[in-house]
Amino acid sequence: MKPLPNIQPPELFLRFFRWFCDPAIEEDIEGDLREMFDRDVTTGGSIAKAKWRFSIRILRLFRPGIIKKIGHSTPLNRSSPMFKNYFLTSMRSLMRSKGFSSINIIGLAVGFATFSLISFYVYNELSFDRYHQNADRIFRIVENLRTENEELFQSTSSPPMGPNFLREFPEVVSYVRFQQWSLLAQRNNISSYERDSYIADSTVFDVFSFNLLKGDKKTALREPFSIVLTESMAKKYFGNEEPLGQTLKMDYDNYKVTGVMEDVPENSHFRFSNLISFSTWSRNNKRAEDVAWFWNGFHTYLLLRDAESADQVRAKMKDFIAKNIEKGGMYYEDLPLQPLTSIYMAPPRSWENGARGSMSNVYILSIIAVFILLIACFNYINLATARASRRLKEVGLRKSLGALRRMLIAQFLGESLIVTFIASLIAVMLAWIALPAFRTLVESPLSFSIFPNPWLVAGAALTLVIVVGLLAGAYPAYIISKFQPLQIFRPSAKGIFGHHNLRKVLVGIQFVISITLVAGTMLVYDQLDVVRNQDLGFDKEGLVILPTNGDTAIVNYLEAVKHELKQVPGVIDVAGSAQIPGQSANNLYTEIEMADGKMSPTNINYNFVDYDFLATYDIKVLAGRNFAREVKADDTTAYLINETAVKDFGWTPEEAIGKKVHGRYHGKIIGVVKDFHYRSLHTKVEPLMMALTKNVNRMAIRIERSDDVHATVERVQKKWSELIPYLPFDYSFLDVEFDRQYKADQQLGKVAGVFTGLAMFIGCLGLLGLTSFVVERRTKEIGIRKVLGASVFSVVLLITREFIWLVLIALVIATPITWYLIGQWEQNFTLQAVINPLRFAVAGLAVFLVAWLTISFLSLRAATANPTKALKTE
Amino acid sequence: VSRHQLGEFEEIVMLTVGILYKEAYGVAIIDEMEGRLKRKVSIGALQTVLRRLESKGYLTSEFGEATNVRGGKRKRYFSLTTLGSRVLRETQEQRMEMFKAIPRMAFPKS
Repeated sequence: MKPLPNIQPPELFLRFFRWFCDPAIEEDIEGDLREMFDRDVTTGGSIAKAKWRFSIRILRLFRPGIIKKIGHSTPLNRSSPMFKNYFLTSMRSLMRSKGFSSINIIGLAVGFATFSLISFYVYNELSFDRYHQNADRIFRIVENLRTENEELFQSTSSPPMGPNFLREFPEVVSYVRFQQWSLLAQRNNISSYERDSYIADSTVFDVFSFNLLKGDKKTALREPFSIVLTESMAKKYFGNEEPLGQTLKMDYDNYKVTGVMEDVPENSHFRFSNLISFSTWSRNNKRAEDVAWFWNGFHTYLLLRDAESADQVRAKMKDFIAKNIEKGGMYYEDLPLQPLTSIYMAPPRSWENGARGSMSNVYILSIIAVFILLIACFNYINLATARASRRLKEVGLRKSLGALRRMLIAQFLGESLIVTFIASLIAVMLAWIALPAFRTLVESPLSFSIFPNPWLVAGAALTLVIVVGLLAGAYPAYIISKFQPLQIFRPSAKGIFGHHNLRKVLVGIQFVISITLVAGTMLVYDQLDVVRNQDLGFDKEGLVILPTNGDTAIVNYLEAVKHELKQVPGVIDVAGSAQIPGQSANNLYTEIEMADGKMSPTNINYNFVDYDFLATYDIKVLAGRNFAREVKADDTTAYLINETAVKDFGWTPEEAIGKKVHGRYHGKIIGVVKDFHYRSLHTKVEPLMMALTKNVNRMAIRIERSDDVHATVERVQKKWSELIPYLPFDYSFLDVEFDRQYKADQQLGKVAGVFTGLAMFIGCLGLLGLTSFVVERRTKEIGIRKVLGASVFSVVLLITREFIWLVLIALVIATPITWYLIGQWEQNFTLQAVINPLRFAVAGLAVFLVAWLTISFLSLRAATANPTKALKTE
Repeated sequence: VSRHQLGEFEEIVMLTVGILYKEAYGVAIIDEMEGRLKRKVSIGALQTVLRRLESKGYLTSEFGEATNVRGGKRKRYFSLTTLGSRVLRETQEQRMEMFKAIPRMAFPKS
């Protein structure tokens, strides 16, 4: 067998093994493990399976006889012999009741594992953009733009802002402007859309800490048609060639590669595949760069002297606006500065670059994480106090021999620390195993590189373990150490809750948490359902979207291309437009005739479409008519307007027809369309204008909703490659794209579902432990009851009735809490689901059933057992 | 000699160590047992028993040469001690005597 130098067994498990194994026997067992691993790899097929089996073997080696002897080589035996005795008795008591110990350990381990996974996610969400060295000094200019009719909160800014801020404010050190360009990149036979191409000022590498690997950061983005590629894009087009100095064709221009940079980290509020010099844009737009104060297609970032100077700039903003920007029908109410590190979590403004996180999701997940850990802690407290009487003899003996109370407290705290420590070791394994699945679940790469210092993480984890260990152990230690030696002769045999009300409260809280999670998850799904099924104003099913990026061949032969595509079997209709619903839209300065006949200026959203747009998307016309090929002047005079705009302007749909519009051209409104969601579903439908164009950026193809969608798409692709062979057939389905807008919320639904299940699981473990304890204590009582004629049912009821009340009380407490939380969360949506009270009943019933099944399982066994057996035990 | 009682698994392990003679190390023992008995043997169970038998003085062990197949880790070869072989033999004899003591009538006719 040849040695396999490349495939190594899982390092983490190996390290764990080396840590726990008796050093005298460590070497040869590790050798055996490695040998078996190599054999699995060479004969057994998948490496993942080999690694899995390797890990399992190590876990099975974690047993007495292999684990190094404590007390022989560890520092423990050097301290007082009493300490060793505490340790021994604790270990013995853990080993004696393996069932209860494993319930505690498994519960805490699952709790720790979920807690750490969620913390990882939350940390990742909160770490966005913090990796920049100047993170606290970088601010984004955003706009509160006032038009005649409304105030717009935009994330964008215009080209003159950056340079003018730098000139007017001594606090501003530098600025960078970005604009997103979606370009078709071509080299040799690779051609693909680079949707995340951005133009950027040459200062980008001074302001942000992007790591330029090749090229000069001062000059890389100075000349027009310079491009800096990220590593992965460089690899995509140049393979192993040296990209520096080569050219890359993007749309119709050739760009010179002047630099290669590291990929933008995943935790960045916007990510790009390449940067193009800003001068590429400004060489043709010199005038606009100086005066186009309302050309809001850019994102501008400022580097300030220090974090505090933002306030000084803000104080002078009113004067700056008044001095520099001409106040017309449209003006800036304010130009706020948004700290870089807050952008990702801030409520999105319009035209955001990149995806945004959701603070409420972070809150909800954090709450769930804490809940799960709490449930696990409560299990420990409950079981430890319930079983306290088991330790009576030991405590009595220790006390008689002169043990002080604080010594006993220390002993039992130590015991809970041992349990939490073992649990945390298992938790690390669990989390490690679950991490890939968790990454898929939250759809986030969660790389360890976001942690600044691994020791800090380890320290935090250790602190958590100790805090949980102390929290869980404090009350049991207090109870147990309180025992009087005389109590040994008077052991009590009460029900699940004995006379400890605390235990009742803790189990009650567990029920409250479970009901909250179950009901909450159901309500989240209700809301997502409402969103998914809402009327978008158009038919999103069966629409295939193709980007064309304004390809000139398509623009010139639009009608012919559409005609050809329509011939493909399965295709119903074809339309072209500048934007597709669900995307952003352009807004343009426009003057519209009001009721009094005056022209009123406004910034209104536009989509430029062709004749078949309304038919293909199935958008209804409420008044007037659609664009018509027969009316020759339509492409230079006709406008369509949406319902919301009509309402905003205070017209009826019929009144709108014929109103004058001075926009791209001087013309009239010829029709009013029913509102459709042309932008994100998170925003309300805003006023919209539509005009005819041939400059199509996207084609929409409506196909028949048969079983054979795939075949139709293939036929379209074949036709497409005949017609326009150089354009990639990079299609998507509109409904899929639309659902993606709710990715974050759907994720929340999925994640909440999984963790609710886990919380219930841990809670049930605790109940199982408590019940089995009670059943064990009451074996004889049950036996006598049965001999005296009690039915199975009445015995089960005897044991289960104690918690029926608890579930009811928990339901009463959980309902308003959940109601409030979900109500808050639903504020994120424009269309909110009605909170269905029935969901709480269902959740309560579900929790009750699960708990009841858990308890009945054991109590039924006790109740059906032969009473003679129970009575014979003495 | 009743204090030298061997468990079933212990007995099988000792037999296997004997069978493999000079080649009895962890993986080989597992392979041999799995091959002969058609049952899964976990490394955890085996290693625990090996160490226990060694501490009872039934087995002894020594390191072999390092190879680069096992990440440079040496093998540990086990062999029966005098005590171990005596206990093993006694166990086998006990079994045989008991088997022989079964009256022929007790076996159902097949």
